[in-house]
Amino acid sequence: MAIEVKNISRTYHAQNTKNGKVAALGPISLTVREREFFAILGPSGCGKSTLLNVIAGLEVPDTGEVLVEGRVVDRPGPDRAVVFQEPGLMPWLTVRENVEYGLKLRGLSPEERRERALQYLKMVHLTKYADARPHQLSGGMRQRVSIARALALEPRVLLMDEPFSALDAQTRDLLHDELQRIWSETHVTIVFVTHNINEAVYLADRVLIMTAPPGQMRRIVRVPFARPRDKALPDLGIFAAMLHKEIKEEVAKVAARELDPDWTPASPQQTLDPAAGI
Amino acid sequence: MEQRNSVDREGRLRVVALQLAFMVVLLIVWHAIVAMGFVTRYLVPSPVDVGKAAYDLFQSGVLWKSVGLSLYRMICGYSVSLVLGTLLGILLARNWVAKATLGSLVLALQSLPSICWLPFALLWVGIDERAILAVVILGATFSIATATENAVRNVPPIYLKVGQVLGARGFTFARDILFFAALPEWLGGMKLGWSFAWRSLMAAELIRQDALGIGRLLEIGRAFNDVPMMLASMVLIVALGMAVDWGIFGVLERQVRRVYGLEK
Repeated sequence: MAIEVKNISRTYHAQNTKNGKVAALGPISLTVREREFFAILGPSGCGKSTLLNVIAGLEVPDTGEVLVEGRVVDRPGPDRAVVFQEPGLMPWLTVRENVEYGLKLRGLSPEERRERALQYLKMVHLTKYADARPHQLSGGMRQRVSIARALALEPRVLLMDEPFSALDAQTRDLLHDELQRIWSETHVTIVFVTHNINEAVYLADRVLIMTAPPGQMRRIVRVPFARPRDKALPDLGIFAAMLHKEIKEEVAKVAARELDPDWTPASPQQTLDPAAGI
Repeated sequence: MEQRNSVDREGRLRVVALQLAFMVVLLIVWHAIVAMGFVTRYLVPSPVDVGKAAYDLFQSGVLWKSVGLSLYRMICGYSVSLVLGTLLGILLARNWVAKATLGSLVLALQSLPSICWLPFALLWVGIDERAILAVVILGATFSIATATENAVRNVPPIYLKVGQVLGARGFTFARDILFFAALPEWLGGMKLGWSFAWRSLMAAELIRQDALGIGRLLEIGRAFNDVPMMLASMVLIVALGMAVDWGIFGVLERQVRRVYGLEK
């Protein structure tokens, strides 16, 4: 097992609730296998990013613990790299220096750092921009650098928090294929948080569907398609539509809590078209 | 890209040309009003008289001595307030106990014009150089502290997360990430602090009577009813203030903003 999540839960402080607390996540338990591509899917606010942050060691859970390769997570560590929705490249460093920075902290020599940074920039096809500044790159290119920066650490686990959701659809498509290739080349274990069903179905071995907050496990679905996958494959769309129905129920629960009591979900005919959103 | 840059440069040139033309027109109008005898010549001298007064100051060597002394005081006082203000600002941003206690004190002291410290400083440290330095330091420290605090607070959270997952902790994190992420806003605070220090110094030099300085020149001009000299000193105060503001802080700020991609 690469990752074991045991009975994790997390509450946040909130002013407008009775006891000043709001349950955000869990309790939830699951395991992610070695070299698996594991997607986490759920309605907004269900705590999927919280779950990822707990695995990353950026947040401390109220109950439970996370083990990565048998070791308890209590802080960020070199075995886990994270790619956030924002690339978060440091504008005062060049592209290559951004990739090198984590290696510098690990005590690699300048030559080793340089070599390894270029190796991973090559993997995302951006060696041309090694000496450019982050602001000279497009959003998609920046996210490529962010992925290279994470992979350069050669982590056991790559944690990705909606990494492509701020990109346009074409760039996103391109990066889906790249990520699939990178994953098969590096065989890193990937945990991928998203609210995009098609993305999850296209990329993942298994998809965790989470409930409305506090996010618990609704179920884990195995995606039964061989790789490399073709986005145009109709089966993929049909499979996504099935998941869509489940997600929709959870989203409706959230909406029912937030909106006026006269709100009801739209009729199913409008949304159960299998070809929708491929 | 290339074309856009040249258009920008053309636009900037046009603005500079307009600014210069405005100055020239202002000088001509001023001169004309004085020359046509609308005003009492000894109360309102012409630009030519002011130029002459400035030349005399330059010739006698008083000008350089005054400029040197004032800048020396600025460098001494400002360096101290830069260090104090920055440390105080970081403390206020990172420590809630400090924020709750010292924070309100800093805000209160910031609303006190620093020249109000002079009488106190004169009594406390005596009529000497240290009183002026104290006023300069007090003038800049609190505004630098407030700006530094905001600069540290406004560091985008993504850099904190990225720093953590890449393994930067403690001092390494502060030196490699916090400092650079806060730099653009901190530079703005440094600039503001300098202009506060400059104002405080001029006020202090006007009041203190035993040492030279640019503020002192203005007061000497008044004592001798020498209005051209007064105006020449005032022009000098403006020119020096602007030279440091644009020539040092402006250039630094623009350089940083360009590297960061905050402007072209």
